[in-house]
Amino acid sequence: MRKKLISMLLCATMVATVATGCGSSPSDLTNSAGSASSQGSASSAGNASSGGGSGETVKLTVWAAENDQDYLKERVEKFKAAYPDQDFDIQIGVESESTAKDTVLTDIEAAADVYSFASDQLSDLVGAGALANIEEVGEALAMAGKTLDEVKSANAPDSIEAASVDGNLYAFPTSGANTYFLYYDPSVITEKDAKDWDSLLAAAQKAGKKVGMTLNSGWYVASFFYGAGFTTDLNSDGTTAMDWNGTSPDGIKGVDVVKSMLDITSNKAFRPIPDGQISNVFASGDLCAVVSGTWDASVAADVWGKDYGAVKLPTFKVGDKDVQMKPAYGYKFEAVNAYSKDIGWAVLFAEFMGNEESQMLHFQQADQVPTNTNALQSDEIAANAAINAAISEGDIGVIQKVGGKYWDPAQTFGELIAKGQVSAKDDAAIQKVLDNLVDGVTAPIN
Amino acid sequence: MDNESKGAVAAVKGFFKAVGGFFSSFGTAFAKGDIFVKLSLIWLGAGYVRRKQYAKAIIMTVFEVAVILFSVFFAADYVPKFGTLGTVKAERVFNMATMKSEFNDYDHSFMILLFSLFSFVVWFVAIIVWIKNTINVYNLQVMEENGKHINTFKEDLRSYLEEKFHITLLTLPVLGIVIFTVIPILLLIFVAFTNYDQQHTPPTELFTWVGFTNFITLFGGGGLTATFGYSFIRVLGWTLVWAFFSTLTTYIGGILLSLLLNNKKTRMPKIWRLMFVMTIAVPQFVSLLLVRNFFADSGIVNTICANIGLTGFLRNIGMISTNYIPFLSAPGWAHVMIIIINIWVGVPYQMLIATGVLMNIPEDQLESAKMDGAKPFQIFVKITMPYMLFITGPALVTDFVKNINNFNVIYLLTQDVYTTTNQALANSQAKEVDLLVTWLFRLTQDYYNYKMASVIGIVVFVICSVFTLVAFNFMIGGDKEGTYQ
Repeated sequence: MRKKLISMLLCATMVATVATGCGSSPSDLTNSAGSASSQGSASSAGNASSGGGSGETVKLTVWAAENDQDYLKERVEKFKAAYPDQDFDIQIGVESESTAKDTVLTDIEAAADVYSFASDQLSDLVGAGALANIEEVGEALAMAGKTLDEVKSANAPDSIEAASVDGNLYAFPTSGANTYFLYYDPSVITEKDAKDWDSLLAAAQKAGKKVGMTLNSGWYVASFFYGAGFTTDLNSDGTTAMDWNGTSPDGIKGVDVVKSMLDITSNKAFRPIPDGQISNVFASGDLCAVVSGTWDASVAADVWGKDYGAVKLPTFKVGDKDVQMKPAYGYKFEAVNAYSKDIGWAVLFAEFMGNEESQMLHFQQADQVPTNTNALQSDEIAANAAINAAISEGDIGVIQKVGGKYWDPAQTFGELIAKGQVSAKDDAAIQKVLDNLVDGVTAPIN
Repeated sequence: MDNESKGAVAAVKGFFKAVGGFFSSFGTAFAKGDIFVKLSLIWLGAGYVRRKQYAKAIIMTVFEVAVILFSVFFAADYVPKFGTLGTVKAERVFNMATMKSEFNDYDHSFMILLFSLFSFVVWFVAIIVWIKNTINVYNLQVMEENGKHINTFKEDLRSYLEEKFHITLLTLPVLGIVIFTVIPILLLIFVAFTNYDQQHTPPTELFTWVGFTNFITLFGGGGLTATFGYSFIRVLGWTLVWAFFSTLTTYIGGILLSLLLNNKKTRMPKIWRLMFVMTIAVPQFVSLLLVRNFFADSGIVNTICANIGLTGFLRNIGMISTNYIPFLSAPGWAHVMIIIINIWVGVPYQMLIATGVLMNIPEDQLESAKMDGAKPFQIFVKITMPYMLFITGPALVTDFVKNINNFNVIYLLTQDVYTTTNQALANSQAKEVDLLVTWLFRLTQDYYNYKMASVIGIVVFVICSVFTLVAFNFMIGGDKEGTYQ
């Protein structure tokens, strides 16, 4: 009997682990329980002292990526200095921009007041109600002597559009040009070769080298379809709209785009790189050109020397038409937690992290491309080849608006093409693959 | 010994008998108790006061007051909303004067669910205590009527260190299990009947009860993605195949290895054993991530295979179509590789267990077998293996269950490396190499699909417990235990 009981308990413990995995670990619960009750008292205190409440200490928690900690500390001190009459208690935490959403959505009320995140997480964060609608709380900016419209016009219009949903601003842009472009080795590839895939692959083959690109990622694979005029969009219910299995407004059929991609991937000089492996493969030295982003600039300089080439993405042939690839173009934003206790000050701090001075400093310290229009004019930025290539894509880049259901089907779609598991001659099979892709991506959420 | 082999039916019978006895003695106490016993139904301390057990009376009164206060000031906030899981959405207005947002008194579905559940558990305990209390005070009345000695508080306390010591010992573990195991499991079960997912995430949105919809969805009723049921079957299939082979291979491997090391002809067995045990000393995730990189598409093993011509050979005979060997990135290849890598990770543990068991095989049995002229292989099949199987049987079952939930090996070896080319699976966020747990992890971690994760969690629980019960009954049922005594 006892043995049975023990085995049952064992099973039970395992499931318990699973249950706590569902975002309800005991410590979380006490946390949010605490915050829920203190919320009640906070709002009643707010009512009582609505006359002049500047006496109390403002408590904020702010998150930034591991390698931005020093930068954040410096900014926090500057921010405090800007408001000498106010007492602050600002806690700093570590959270990467790329994983902010996962942490925040586990327990929104326990998340930081201000944190930075990558623009592809915007839709999920807004959908879960985690982000403050800046239009509603923007009047707090008066403390900094600004209006929301001034802040908006100080940044590149694309960046503000990317940070908005239905015309409402939900975050402050802090850096842009989070995109990919073509690096090439000028000793093998000429600038003219780098303009289209055919000449690029031909030049690479002649030199016995490879051209690398990641295809098994929804972020990269979309560039062919965006180029051909296809779109993705986010519906108001959080689902994704996608038209890749039809004909684009430019009159190009999705099947033909896939065929062109298969043409490229079947070329001996093409090397599909698994997602996340670009830097490793790049450093191996087998490549003469690769599609990657500003984060690989130092690798390029190591492998090909300081005069490495960086240009916007090449064109590819659909039938006899030359089609310019259009990359997904992302930003980094500073978020304000909708459930922040001191939301007004949180807005002020988030805006401070996105102002011209902060953006310029972040560029100097971490090569983050500014979105502030004044900062973009600076000479320092003009001198950096990779950043210039990224910025040059500003007019062809597409703000990728997709929901959570996009990524897995798109990754599998890219993998099918990278592995050549569909035949370029079989139109019906390609159409089926595209239909499956669209089915998966546009599926209702949960 | 007999008790242990009674089997499940007897156990269930015994349980209901105990429950029945509990309520019948409550009935007796209620019917035959004096006025103080009856008064104890309202004031828990009444009976004790009458029998001069004042300390107990105080403790029970404090308990009663605590439960009432808890019900009024805590449970009353949540339990009434349990039927709907909340109706008031969060709304806020920004107040420039205070620089703060003012919220309405909004409902938080998850808190309502959790704290209602907690209240139910507290009340359940309170009712048990209430009934038990009535029985106790009635027993006191009977003892007094019969002129028996009634314990003082000191004597009661001492009894918890002596004849009732087991109760003292078990209190903390049971409390821990209720808080950290029972409540989370109940919560998990409840969530499976709600629509708690990305579209219904508190505090901004509310979620509510949806009945059996999620179970219907899982078993092919549509509604979610069209491929969810298909994916579930595929993932379940691989989970069982994996659990079977990983358990079997490490088990056999461990026994063979320990036999080899225990053989008298093996020189320096301790050194060998140390070398094999070394894999245990390195944290599993470190070795698994390293191995994952070794076998990556552009990893070191692939480079070696390409250099010695193995890659070309495999391509010539049509085993692969790529210019690398997709050890961990193609179905089939990855399945086999994962099981093989797991042998390397899992065998040392089994080897240690097997070594211990082998050293304890009754020497006389082996001797007499040898005298009767049995060959080593015969001894292995007729004596060593049956003995092994009997001793390690329970461990084998737990291993199987552990492997059904073996998150580490699968996740660390395939995450970020394996991309499925099966669009039907991809549309449900699954991969060919996913176990139910890794799929469940992705559904909760990346897609916030808590309700479906709960449903899968329940299914995993049912599979594990059914398997465990059946296997245990089969293995240690009957008289086998006597055979080896």
